[in-house]
Amino acid sequence: MKTIVLKRGNHSYIVKETVKVLSSGGLVVFPSDTVYGLLADATNKYAINKLIEVKNRPFGKVISIFVDGWGMLDKQVEILSSQKQVLHEILPGAFTVILPSKHQVDSRLESEKNTLGIRLIKYLLINQLVRAFGKPLTATSANLSGKQPHYQLSTFQKELSSKKTQLIDLAIDAGNLPRNRPSTVIDLTKANIKVLRQGDRSVDKIYISKSEKETKKIALSIFNQNKKNVVKKPMVFIISGELGAGKTVFIKGIGEELGINNIISPTYTIAYEYPLKDKYFNKLSHFDLYQIDSAQDLEKIGIEEVLKPNNLLMFEWGEKIGNLIKVINKRAYIVYINIEYITEGSRKLRVSYNS
Amino acid sequence: MKILAIDTSADETAVAVVEGRRIISNVIYSQIDIHKKWGGIYPTLAKQAHEERIDGVVEKALKRFMIYDLRFKNIERYMDGIDAIAVTQGPGLAIALEVGIRKAKELAIQYQKPLIAVNHLEGHLYSCFAQNRFGKPTYEIKFPYLGLIVSGGHTEIVLIKGHLQYQVLGETLDDAAGEALDKAAKLLGLSYPGGPVIEQLAQEIGQIDKYHFPRPMLQSRNLDFSFSGLKTSFYYYVRELPEKEKIKSIKYLVSSFQEAVFDVIVKKTESAIKQTGVTNIIIGGGVCANLYLRKRLRAMVKKNNGAIIFPPFKYLTGDNAAMIGIVAGYKAKANQFVKNSDHLDRVTRMSL
Repeated sequence: MKTIVLKRGNHSYIVKETVKVLSSGGLVVFPSDTVYGLLADATNKYAINKLIEVKNRPFGKVISIFVDGWGMLDKQVEILSSQKQVLHEILPGAFTVILPSKHQVDSRLESEKNTLGIRLIKYLLINQLVRAFGKPLTATSANLSGKQPHYQLSTFQKELSSKKTQLIDLAIDAGNLPRNRPSTVIDLTKANIKVLRQGDRSVDKIYISKSEKETKKIALSIFNQNKKNVVKKPMVFIISGELGAGKTVFIKGIGEELGINNIISPTYTIAYEYPLKDKYFNKLSHFDLYQIDSAQDLEKIGIEEVLKPNNLLMFEWGEKIGNLIKVINKRAYIVYINIEYITEGSRKLRVSYNS
Repeated sequence: MKILAIDTSADETAVAVVEGRRIISNVIYSQIDIHKKWGGIYPTLAKQAHEERIDGVVEKALKRFMIYDLRFKNIERYMDGIDAIAVTQGPGLAIALEVGIRKAKELAIQYQKPLIAVNHLEGHLYSCFAQNRFGKPTYEIKFPYLGLIVSGGHTEIVLIKGHLQYQVLGETLDDAAGEALDKAAKLLGLSYPGGPVIEQLAQEIGQIDKYHFPRPMLQSRNLDFSFSGLKTSFYYYVRELPEKEKIKSIKYLVSSFQEAVFDVIVKKTESAIKQTGVTNIIIGGGVCANLYLRKRLRAMVKKNNGAIIFPPFKYLTGDNAAMIGIVAGYKAKANQFVKNSDHLDRVTRMSL
């Protein structure tokens, strides 16, 4: 491994030497805005082979790339115009952005979902280098997989076996890098889940609520009207509505009547369950599908297990229930609730049933 | 006493071996590790995923423990060095908790070890007392403490008078702080995980509070939190903004939102100090990885002549089993074992 020490005045020499090595499929240890990185031509199969060998990187673990500007970024990933505007506000910066890949780089850098991590940073030397090279470079940290990244070239070199040292062609020593944190990852890939549409449901009734208290009251009255009709089936509320519309408030209204006063939204745990002492119901399962992004995940959160008589199921972000609605339809009594903003303080609640 | 601890409360399969406050081995199998970084899908909160991983993670934790304790050269006998099994009983996702509980029961019966059930929230509080395997850091535990838990799923203030003695002084009535941050980020198209992205963007503009969003519950005298009103107000404000301006102001929007959330956390904690006279603070949960929140809390606590302890290692802010093991050690001392392991069941919405 040849080493060049970064000095004032030798930047263009370093760029020239590094481009030479990268063009012939070589690996280079290079300073960056965060830690020392291991650079390789992201489109060169042999270079990526070497990179994976040095890093011990398990197959299927992905590697992000450096681009020098928006032109190169556009060639690598698919961006919606709305996303582009957001990205222009935050890049270049200390982020790694995940987007659908256009498959211009070695496929081993991409995820199983065909996404690619992109870095457009504020570090002049890297930008000059990528520009001179004309193609994206790998932006992985110079360390073995699972080990800490390095802020000093020498600590990385110590970690390497002699065989691995031979695989690396060039190292640029910029001394101790400032201990900036690794980049923050922003995932801009879109969720892939079927959304439930109004379809052939008949709207039964519309309520207007002017306060949380009123929403709770309305919820309770809808619950009471319907529970008599539930015979030997679970009862399911599928509640939809935008962020902050009052979905949790609705559920609290019913919960409080059933003696549960500590309902909070289970956004991260997906579901909370509460035992009930009620004539009709033994258990309340409160689901929040906000975090669910794939049909596979939806199948695995245990909905069918609680879809039993005498159980009460409530779904927030119920529009994401997708195909599971067929199973629920067969086995349960369903009430659909949609909550809409009228003003900041008032809401429209629409109740509907399968027709 | 060496304890093997298991936590499967959400998406991470975590197993650790601890002795007292010392973490001897700690293994976290995290989907987040992969997905947060690359995949673009959320952690599969799957029973199946936990089931597939749990045996391997237990074995890995034990192997790392073996390397430390050379008396046990034979991998077949690695359980010999373990005195008790601990497991998270709740709160968490039912089907995820079940996997850990079942494994813990299985190990307890097979190797005839006592079983200890731990509340995940106790774990977050005790994460502040953790030490590495060499016993660092060394500070003594001095009760009483005010405990603050701020994570994606929880926001609460707890008075801790002694080991395992909790009194919840206030908690969120709707959304947790981390959840509010994530949702605000998502609203602006910044996606998951929102907290770290907001932290970074807000830092770039020096945490300016341009919009002064409402500080929910600051007027009320109790110590409960509520973030859903703030969320609604943010949603409404952003919705009314012209698209161009929204994007131009993105850093100012998230910074102002973060400021509102942190203001509430800091001020409620300060109220708790004033109400109880307790000035020593411990804090756990994912949101306390935010360095700006740490800075603000430190300043507030200093002003009140108190001291604040954060989890000493970064991995302790997220979900892990080491913190469960540390709690379990104190439970063992207090003779709080599970009497009949057949009856141990998950409690998804468990309180302190």
